[in-house]
Amino acid sequence: MNFTVVPTSNYLILAAALFCVGMLGVLVRRNALVVFMCIELMLNAANLTFLAFARERGDMVGHLGPFFIIAVAAAEAAVGLAIVISVFRNRGTVNIEEIQSMKH
Amino acid sequence: MLTTPHFPLSEFMAVLPAAMLVAGAIVLMLSEVFLSAANRTYMAVIGLLTSAVAGLFALNNAFEPARLVLQGFAVLDPFSSFMTVMVCLGTGLACLLASGFLKHRNAERGEFYALMLFAAAGMSLLALSNEFITLFVNLEVLSVATYALTAFLRRGPRPAEAGFKYFILGAFAAALLLYGAALLYGATGTTRLSDLAQALPGAMATKAGLVYAGFGLVLAGFAFKVAAVPFHMWTPDVYEGAPTPVTALMSVGVKAAAFVALVRTFLALVHGLDPQVPFTLFALLALLTMVAGNLLAMPQRNVKRMLAYSSIAHAGYLLLGVTALFVPPTAQPGDAGGVLGATPLLGNAAVNASVYKGILFYLLGYTVTSIGAFGTLAAIERREDETRGNTWDLERLAGLAQRQPGWAAAMAAFMLSLAGVPPTVGFLGKLFVFSAAIDAGLIWLAVVGVLASVAGTYYYLRVVVYMFMRPAPADAPAPFRHWTIEVALVTSAVATVALGIVPGPVSEWLSRAGMVFGG
Repeated sequence: MNFTVVPTSNYLILAAALFCVGMLGVLVRRNALVVFMCIELMLNAANLTFLAFARERGDMVGHLGPFFIIAVAAAEAAVGLAIVISVFRNRGTVNIEEIQSMKH
Repeated sequence: MLTTPHFPLSEFMAVLPAAMLVAGAIVLMLSEVFLSAANRTYMAVIGLLTSAVAGLFALNNAFEPARLVLQGFAVLDPFSSFMTVMVCLGTGLACLLASGFLKHRNAERGEFYALMLFAAAGMSLLALSNEFITLFVNLEVLSVATYALTAFLRRGPRPAEAGFKYFILGAFAAALLLYGAALLYGATGTTRLSDLAQALPGAMATKAGLVYAGFGLVLAGFAFKVAAVPFHMWTPDVYEGAPTPVTALMSVGVKAAAFVALVRTFLALVHGLDPQVPFTLFALLALLTMVAGNLLAMPQRNVKRMLAYSSIAHAGYLLLGVTALFVPPTAQPGDAGGVLGATPLLGNAAVNASVYKGILFYLLGYTVTSIGAFGTLAAIERREDETRGNTWDLERLAGLAQRQPGWAAAMAAFMLSLAGVPPTVGFLGKLFVFSAAIDAGLIWLAVVGVLASVAGTYYYLRVVVYMFMRPAPADAPAPFRHWTIEVALVTSAVATVALGIVPGPVSEWLSRAGMVFGG
């Protein structure tokens, strides 16, 4: 069996790609739930970056970060999904372009 | 082998105010479950007392010497402690405003006050965070509580919409900040700000790209949180749609905490970078925010929306102060031209001390003034307005001087303070910030700031004109009076004028040496 060690740069490129996909999704997509998932992608890109660098350096602090980030993201999701439901009850849609009742 | 770190009890002094706020919030949540009293005004009083006690402890902390605590994950310095005092002041007043406001809507619940106290605890902890993960967790503690508060009222489409927009953009900004922190961790191998400052010059030699990318992402994340132009798009909708007492808390607490965290973070992050880069970025943000905030506020007839844009403009004046911290030390007297140039008049240390004082005094003034201004709107607002479009139109304030002379006088004081007219606290705040900027050599930027704030007088004075010189509409609804709102308005009006006339002791406190750890 021949295990080759995956170089850190591969993880970083994957994380950067995830981050860009997430950011584009937030800016382009119109469905609130998809936008929300894209934000989760961005957070996970940050997790992966932390872990890749921590593995490269053999540093425990970098491993610690993602635990907190995952917990916080879960709390955020709980409140965020509740707000999305409240929007849906009010309007019957989660399309961002139709959620524009306040005019300038 | 795991070694357990030893924490002397005195290290926990820094987080004691936040711990008290959390304890108060838990008491409020339990009381909502176990005490089913019909009259819930006592909850506002619990919120007020908790904030008062936490604020007093924070004030006590403010006179401790600046130092790192809890293994360098937090800082105990006067800058963060005074910020906590302001947050507690703002939270206490917002609790009072909320009591009357919610009672009128039959929506007074313990969890509302609990969320307010949780948000305040997050703000207090954010101000003293000295490490990126800590900073992120505290930012989210305060943000998640504010998302829930924004969407708290379930009648009408606006609160849910505002909460939704705030949530999406807030989470987006947090993700930007976190990815930036991850890149900086990769470049330096540490997430502690004080270690970052030492490691950055070395990292710049080999990984300059990572450092600059991380710097930019963290800056963008913070710019969203303080609502700097061009990252301000969410502000008017969120401020308009949120329940007015929540808007008041957002405009003072969230913004103040984010500013303190921004100053602390970037004082560490600029080490090793080309000093021209952070300076130019901050100068641009300040310039755009001051000018655009005032220009966008001008055509607004909706007073609540106008105050939202005005809060953007005020963030611009504060950013002017922050820019003064990052004037490149190499700039020689007389060698700079253009709006973004600098001709320093004083050394960096002297400038920094006056900038910290200016920012804190400005935030204090903005806290009492903005709470008062939004509080007056909350007092005038009627429950029946929720489904109507023109709730906060200028016409609603017409003739307020005949209908409610006390409220009109208070609102006039708040408007003059926001405009920066003496003898109010807003004038002194602007004076301190602008003079610090001029000492740092930002003469042109300060001139633009003064011009922008003169232009801003137009929309503030228009409110005063409507209140005092226009006849009241015949169908003006009777206001809903509640003693808690009146107490909050009187307190903030008195503070607005008194601090403007006698700034003495407070401005002495704020100009202490060693304000910011390592600053």
